[in-house]
Amino acid sequence: MKGDLLDIVCCPLDKHDLELDATEREDGEIVTGTLTCTECGEVYPIEDGIPNLLPPDMRDEAPA
Amino acid sequence: MTDGSGADWTEDGSVDGADGKPSLTDQRDVEQVYQPAEDSKLLADAVVERVEGGERALDVGTGSGYVAARMREAGADAVGADLNPHACRQAAESGIPVVRADLTGAFRDGAFDVATFNPPYLPTESEQEWDDWMERALSGGEDGRAAIDPFLDDVARVLAPGGAAYLLVSSLTDPDAVRERARANGLTSEEVDSESHPFETLLVYRFVRRDE
Repeated sequence: MKGDLLDIVCCPLDKHDLELDATEREDGEIVTGTLTCTECGEVYPIEDGIPNLLPPDMRDEAPA
Repeated sequence: MTDGSGADWTEDGSVDGADGKPSLTDQRDVEQVYQPAEDSKLLADAVVERVEGGERALDVGTGSGYVAARMREAGADAVGADLNPHACRQAAESGIPVVRADLTGAFRDGAFDVATFNPPYLPTESEQEWDDWMERALSGGEDGRAAIDPFLDDVARVLAPGGAAYLLVSSLTDPDAVRERARANGLTSEEVDSESHPFETLLVYRFVRRDE
């Protein structure tokens, strides 16, 4: 993901801002890292460049 | 709605693997991701006629990323969202900025000029659904509106002033109930396109906030 995606995303639980912690970048894009809600502290993973902003109770719910 | 085998819309051939055998990962993604069909095309055609360059757009349930890609070709700054991790990966591989998210829930208030959604809408018996990702891309629950209703409940929040939401619905999904749900959420609806098929009519509705 590109950093400017932060302008449009928010915590799905309380709609507050997310803080980016990038652990791996490539060509200016964040490949791996986390997004943490500045209000409730919930941590959302970024893997393979895709942020997973599902609410925690939906994160592990996965058919097939 | 058909299964839509026409997955040859990417220029780089990453979806259909035209320039070689697709990797197992790609193949698995294609099998578990709804590929663009008549409904996707009807929605995209209606939207690209109306979207303006530089507008910020969100394609909910982006699947393969087709509608988002069409909006980007039209000059919009479109991102995709999907529940399905295979869909997220496939859309990302075709160059769409993508977020794994439930409908509009992970997006800021007023962030978009345009929101689009080609939802799962086939009415399905409850014991038959949610078996796999493809089923999930097709099934709209017992009344066909299991994904449409929560979309309509939240979409006004993410629209900027003057923004519009475009929703594909089928005659199988009780379009009057869809419009009533939109009205209850402060949205006015307008039918902007329709297409008849043997067992259903596909419709594209455009919603704007009633207070505008």
